[in-house]
Amino acid sequence: MSDVLHVLVVGILLGGIYGLVSIGLNLIFGVIRVVNFAHGELVMLGMYGAFLAYSLLGIDPYLSVVLVVPALFLFGLIVQRLIIEPLQSESMMQMFATFALLTILQNVVLVITRGEGHNVPTKVASLGLELGEIRIPATRLIILIAVTAVAVLLHLFLHRTLIGKSIRAVTQDRQAARLVGINVERTFMVTFGIGAALAGLAGALIAPIYTLSPGIGGNFILAAFAVVVLGGLGSVAGAYFGGMIVGIVEAFAGYYIDPELKQAIWFLIFLAVLVVRPTGLFGQVGAEEVGFREQS
Amino acid sequence: MEATGRAKLIGLLAWLAGVALAGVATAQEPLKIGAINPYSGPLALYGDEMARGYQIAVNERNAKGGVLGRKIELVRGDATNPQQAIAAVDQLATRDKVEIFVGTYVSAIANAGSDAALRHQKLWWDTNALGAELTERKLANFVRSGPNGSHFAEVSVRAVIEMIAPALGKKPNEITVALEHEDSIYGKTIADVQKARLEEKGVKVVGVGAHNFRATDLTDVVMRARRTNADLWVQTGYVPDTNLMLRTAREQGYKPAAIMTVGTGDTFETLEALSAEYLEGIFVVSYPRADISEKYAPGASRFLDAYRKAYNRDPIAPQSLSAYGGLLTMFDAVQAAGSTDPAKVRAAAAAMDKPLGSYPTGFGAKFDDKFQNTRALPVVIQWQGGKQVTVFPVEARREGVALRNVPRK
Repeated sequence: MSDVLHVLVVGILLGGIYGLVSIGLNLIFGVIRVVNFAHGELVMLGMYGAFLAYSLLGIDPYLSVVLVVPALFLFGLIVQRLIIEPLQSESMMQMFATFALLTILQNVVLVITRGEGHNVPTKVASLGLELGEIRIPATRLIILIAVTAVAVLLHLFLHRTLIGKSIRAVTQDRQAARLVGINVERTFMVTFGIGAALAGLAGALIAPIYTLSPGIGGNFILAAFAVVVLGGLGSVAGAYFGGMIVGIVEAFAGYYIDPELKQAIWFLIFLAVLVVRPTGLFGQVGAEEVGFREQS
Repeated sequence: MEATGRAKLIGLLAWLAGVALAGVATAQEPLKIGAINPYSGPLALYGDEMARGYQIAVNERNAKGGVLGRKIELVRGDATNPQQAIAAVDQLATRDKVEIFVGTYVSAIANAGSDAALRHQKLWWDTNALGAELTERKLANFVRSGPNGSHFAEVSVRAVIEMIAPALGKKPNEITVALEHEDSIYGKTIADVQKARLEEKGVKVVGVGAHNFRATDLTDVVMRARRTNADLWVQTGYVPDTNLMLRTAREQGYKPAAIMTVGTGDTFETLEALSAEYLEGIFVVSYPRADISEKYAPGASRFLDAYRKAYNRDPIAPQSLSAYGGLLTMFDAVQAAGSTDPAKVRAAAAAMDKPLGSYPTGFGAKFDDKFQNTRALPVVIQWQGGKQVTVFPVEARREGVALRNVPRK
């Protein structure tokens, strides 16, 4: 019984990581309808941002978010304005462009780091809670708290603020939003900026757990796409709970079945959800269709 | 008629003089060795490190007059993947007139590169690749002076029986071992050999686990290992998964009496990730390192001095020493062959019979029928105070070296 509880805790903590990595991807996917293959690389940039802040300024990775998040927000604005927006009428090309971005970012970091693995130390790494046999590392608990806070704040932002409402309006019907005076392009820029900033936040917070390499973003992207489709396009709750589901399934499958099979098992569930409910668990029925129709 | 005869004689003399002159010219031409390695991209760090080892060997040999009376010149060929290896070999063989190829620590690159070198009728002398399949191909130009993956597995098993079990106060049939490996052919081959050999020796293998080296979480792996209650936990993988696994073990408070990693876990990347305090006492099966006993590996100190002088630091990774020792072995084979022709060098290599401890790696030279050096043994190091200290074979230890933190506290 204690094993089951332990695995459940491990799964929830892992779900926190997946949720945090996916939430920005889901926003971009849901609103701009761009399949951003470079999202993992934005997370990677966040990780290296934390590393730079530590190695140049001696800043703890958890404090580095005050630099990394705005930097990635700005980077997101630029990417949207210079790469995604000019290809607005060609969704396929947008996807290829994010592929190109992925390769460029990986290679630039490769050239700079020469492939050397880096680590971001923090005093928090040695801290944690012990509940009997169950260990809760502080590094993962912080991520769980952060993703919960981000989900709540993002929900409030989308429902209570004018920009948030314009994002939702654009998500539902781009043309109608334009007719009522919403600047769609600016909304897209802000959305991509927020998505990139959230990727940066995820990167900075998970940096103390991993050894950094230029290709590390790719390790998360598969799970992130699964979370987005499972949870529902453009749904904050979808990313949050989708992350939890993937995390918990992975933990149970890895412990009780086989660590080699865990990805296959959550992809089976992913496929099943796709077949039964194509909009994902929390997605609005028809939302994905409207969005894609809008592109043409 | 007489005039014609004289003209012929003069012509013959002129031709002979030409041949002789050409011979002198050839003798003075440097012997070019193409070093195929990843010098860019994510694998560049160790590729560069190997090239440093090669360069030190070349400098040393040139100071003694070179090989076959010719100075040696190292030409780098950048290959980050098999396709680039083929292109680099083609280019170096045709444009740079390279006569011998050496490389690399990436088996896939060695595989493609050696195949391409064969098309140019050039020797491929491998110093660092571990893939067992490389010698299984029985390629007509291939020789490997370094160990393969199975040697790493064999040495890890010997270390368990001869060093770790006694240090834990147990006989081989009393110690329990949990094996973990990344799930590609590399990790699986090593774990399979480990399991078979350990069980032959009566050691109880209480668990064998596999994982993807790109996995984002390995808590399940750690929990499964803990469930086995093994005395020794052995992990074979790459840097990212080994670091993540050790970090997770620390977070989860998993403390087996001994931990051993195979092939990785002995670099600054792991030290940075885990801290000297946590790593204290962890064993790593690794290429021989420059701290090895001079008696066991004559010339290792000379290499270390030359490295420090040339690069103003200690070696980044042990690959450079193996590259250095491997190239010295090749020079001996080429010198004995009197030629760079693959068949002649291989014949000379086949005739070599140098005992362990002949080279600065501690290796000897005795090649089997697949041209795998059977006297190339990895070593086991132990993390001690943030330093990698060679502890196995016992003869390879420097004076005063003893095991620390076994069993782990």
